[in-house]
Amino acid sequence: MNCIQARDRFAELLDQRLDGPVSGEVRLHLAACPDCQRDFVSLRDTLAQLDALPAAKPGPRLRANFYAMLEDEQRSAAAPARASAPSRRHTPRWRWILSPLAACGLLALSFVAGQRSAPVATPVTVPVDAATQHELADLRKKVDSMGQLVGYSLLQRQPANERLKGILATQDLAAPGDRVLTQLISALALDPSTNVRLSALEALYPYADQEVVRAGVLASLTREQSPLVQVSMIDFLVAARDREAAPTLQQLVRADKVDRSVRDAAKRALVQL
Amino acid sequence: MATAALQTDHELMLAVRDGELAALGELFERHHGPLYGYLAKHTGDRLAAEDIVQTVFQRMLKYRHTYRDDGAFTAWMYHLARRCAADYFRKHHAAPVATDPTDLQAYADARPHAGDQAGASDDRAFLHSALNRLDRDDREILLLSRFQELSFAEIAGILECSVGAAKVRAHRALRELRDIYFQLQGEKLT
Repeated sequence: MNCIQARDRFAELLDQRLDGPVSGEVRLHLAACPDCQRDFVSLRDTLAQLDALPAAKPGPRLRANFYAMLEDEQRSAAAPARASAPSRRHTPRWRWILSPLAACGLLALSFVAGQRSAPVATPVTVPVDAATQHELADLRKKVDSMGQLVGYSLLQRQPANERLKGILATQDLAAPGDRVLTQLISALALDPSTNVRLSALEALYPYADQEVVRAGVLASLTREQSPLVQVSMIDFLVAARDREAAPTLQQLVRADKVDRSVRDAAKRALVQL
Repeated sequence: MATAALQTDHELMLAVRDGELAALGELFERHHGPLYGYLAKHTGDRLAAEDIVQTVFQRMLKYRHTYRDDGAFTAWMYHLARRCAADYFRKHHAAPVATDPTDLQAYADARPHAGDQAGASDDRAFLHSALNRLDRDDREILLLSRFQELSFAEIAGILECSVGAAKVRAHRALRELRDIYFQLQGEKLT
C-alpha cells in the first residue's frame, strides 16, 4: 500500500468503518511512514475537536412557536369540516325569503316601541369648580382602569386560541395606543395560558423602548411561575438594555426555589447588562 | 398520546399524513434538538436556526401528502431542512457568517476553570471559525456525518448522490477543515 492509497482510507479508519484486513494494511503503512503519521494525527485531532464542539440548544421560543403553529393548523384543518357539515342539510327555499323579511319587521317594531317609551333627554349644565373637576378626572381614570381589568377578565373567558388571535392581531397595528399596550401587559401578567403569555411578550418587543412596557415586564417577571416564560422575559429585558432590572435579576440569582434555567439566564443577563 | 412514544418516526409521519396532526408534536420533540444543532452550526446564526426549524416543521404539515409509504422520515426531514437552509442563504447573500463573538463568550463562560482551559476554549473558537470559512457544501456534509448519527447511505439519500461520492466529499471536507483550522492556529502563534 502506498501513501495515496493509505490516505484515501484515513477517513474510514478514523470512523472505524474500515474492514479488518484493509485496516491492518493501512496501520502497517502508517507505522513505517512518518509523513502519513503526521497527516493521520492532524486529521484525528481535528475530528476530535469537531466532535467535542458543544451542541447548541434552542431557546424556549421555538417550542412555543411550534405548538402555536400546530394548534393553528389543527384548527384550520377542522374548520372546513365544520363549515361543510351544515351545507349538506337541505334548507327550504321559503326560509331564504321569509328570514330577511322577519328581521326587518322586528327592527321596525323595536324602533317604534323605543320612540314611544324613551324619555326625552334634556341637557343639564351644572357649574363645577377646579377641585371638583380634578376629582372627576381622578374618578374617570379609576373607572377606566377598572374597565380595562373587567375587559381583560371578560377576555379571559374566551378560549385560549381566541385570546392568542387577539394578541396576534395587535402585531398588525401600525401605532397601538396605551390601551393596547396595557392589554398586552395584562395578558403577560394575568393570562393562564403559557402560549398566550409568550405571544404577548413577543408582541411587546417593538415597544421595548417605552418605560411602561419595560416596567410591566419586570413586574410580571417576579409573579411568573413558568420558567419558560421567565427566561423569555429576562431575554426581553436584556434586549431592552433595562438596567432597572438588575436588582430583580440579582434576587432571582440568589433565590434557591427558582428554577435553575431561570437563575442561569438571570446570571447571564446581569453580565450582559 | 401515550402510544406515540412507542411508534417509529415513519409511523408517526404516516399518521400526520392521514390527518392526525397532533402526531407531529412527538416528531418535533424527537428531532427538533439535533436539527437545530445542525442548522445552528451550518448557518452560524442561532436565531436563524430556530426560524428554519420552525419552517421545516411547517413544511412537513404543508407537504405531508407527499410523504411516501416507503419513505425514510429522517432523510425527508433533512431534505426539507436543506431546502429551507438554501432559501436562508439565498436571502442572506450566501456569505459564510463570521463567528458570533457572544457565542465564543458563552463557550468560555461554560467552563468552570477558565484559566486552566483557556487553550481548549481557543481551539473551539478556531474550529468554529474554520467551520464558518468552509465551503457550504463541505460544512453541510461534515455536520451531517459527524453530528446527526446518519449513515453514509442516509447522507447519500439526503444529498442525492452515491454512497461513494458522499464518503469522498466527507473526507475532502475534513481535510479542508483541518487545513483552515491549523492555519488559524498558526496565525495565532505568529
